[in-house]
Amino acid sequence: MSTEALYRTRALIRYNAVLRLRDPSQLISYLVTPMIFMVLFQPLYQKALGAGAVEAVTGQLVMFSFFATAIVGHSIFIEREWQTWDRLRASRAARVELLIGKAVPVFVVLVFQQAVLIVYGCLVVGMEFPHSLPLLLMAMAVWGFTLLALGSALAIVVRSRGDLIVASDVGAIVISSIGGSMLPTSMMPGWAQAVAKYSPGYWGLGMFRHAIAGDAGPALRAALVCLVFGVVAGAVATYRLSHGWGRSALV
Amino acid sequence: MLEAIDLRKRYDEIKALDGFSLRVEPGEIVGLVGHNGAGKTTFVEMVSGLIQPDSGTVLVDGQPPAKARDLVGMSPQHIALYKPLTVREHLSLFGSLAGLRGAALANAIDELVTLMQLTSFLDRQAGYLSGGQQRRTQAATALIHGPRLLLLDEPTAGADPETRQALLDVVKQRAAEGAAIVYTTHYLTELTELQATIAVASKGRIIARGSSAELLGSLPGQVRVRCATEEFHVSTTDPTTTLLELLEKAPRPVESVELNNPTLDDLYRSLVASDVD
Repeated sequence: MSTEALYRTRALIRYNAVLRLRDPSQLISYLVTPMIFMVLFQPLYQKALGAGAVEAVTGQLVMFSFFATAIVGHSIFIEREWQTWDRLRASRAARVELLIGKAVPVFVVLVFQQAVLIVYGCLVVGMEFPHSLPLLLMAMAVWGFTLLALGSALAIVVRSRGDLIVASDVGAIVISSIGGSMLPTSMMPGWAQAVAKYSPGYWGLGMFRHAIAGDAGPALRAALVCLVFGVVAGAVATYRLSHGWGRSALV
Repeated sequence: MLEAIDLRKRYDEIKALDGFSLRVEPGEIVGLVGHNGAGKTTFVEMVSGLIQPDSGTVLVDGQPPAKARDLVGMSPQHIALYKPLTVREHLSLFGSLAGLRGAALANAIDELVTLMQLTSFLDRQAGYLSGGQQRRTQAATALIHGPRLLLLDEPTAGADPETRQALLDVVKQRAAEGAAIVYTTHYLTELTELQATIAVASKGRIIARGSSAELLGSLPGQVRVRCATEEFHVSTTDPTTTLLELLEKAPRPVESVELNNPTLDDLYRSLVASDVD
């Protein structure tokens, strides 16, 4: 990347970060609510499983980080709603610069949310400290990428802000619940257990639990599946964002 | 500076451009007029590199639009601003994307803020600006890097007189400095003030092109002489001579005389009507 391109990318990251900072309400909500739920759910998991802190923390982390796809979706949707994306596309900035400028601040928000919830889980809920910090950082990065891609794909298919909110809320609850965020998959009905493996939530949850336990093999395997979900969704979103919405924008 | 040759673009059954050709020289302001749906915005988007033609060629300073983005400044028809960003932040963002930095960026912002009368709300978020202030801010983001080709798509739509005048003054100044300007509008009086040459678009192509004098020369004006007992009303391409002739033969006393030269509105109506026919 040339110096000029780096300069433009930095400018895009800066102003996209400003946009996020001036609209922090969603992030605050997705930080505070899981903190409360972790404390409430922990005794339930303890009775059901004999343990509970890791399950309570990672379950709420995965569910509310899924809710945070609304932040990703919103950051892209406003470009459609305000019709600003084409102005950026008409500038000297290359497509990759625009996408990096858009993605980095939201990725940071997603990773920040995960980091805060894990630290809170360790300090307040009583979750054991992760056995392998590099493995946990890998899990956070992979999960952040997966959510970024899923949220971006969501933003390009919805037709209104209302659609986005409904889709991200319902999607977060369904995908993360089916994946085992609310209760262990082993306690779910047979059909739900069969469906669970098709949910990115299932693999995200497994990735975090194995990473915290320091089990590199299973954590990496789950990370690979998450990456597949992310790459597919990301490819669809990237194609659409690169080509703009044109006259077909339905906002 | 801009050369578009035989551009064609189809959206399903709709021909947005159908053999659209236009050439704009440095320092020239071209007033691109036409009904909604005549192809003006599609053309502007094509020159900006946002959409590709199905066939035909667009060259900006001899290069395809995708390679000439630093030469082009584009202000779209609709307001396209980030509501939470201030005017200063918009200018800084678009200036940075155009490659300006440091003192050059600061100077460009200072100059435009003064020209476009943005000083008093420079640090106000776009969402809290009036419609006119948003128009000026948007135009400023297109002008920030001193582009050699300016594409202004209905820049004064819904603007107050103050905004309109500020924009027209800047457009004239930039043209005087050598920028080629494509100015789409429905307000034809603005083109007279800008001393723009005219391109009339209809059904995705240019149906008339020239200076307003050239295009208006072929249109009849109206002469009306009212006497106490009679009224004469003649359409003519030579209103002055016709008026003198009417005055010679009109019975006295003459109560009133009206001499109306054709306007750009007349030209536009005439051309579009004949194209529909």
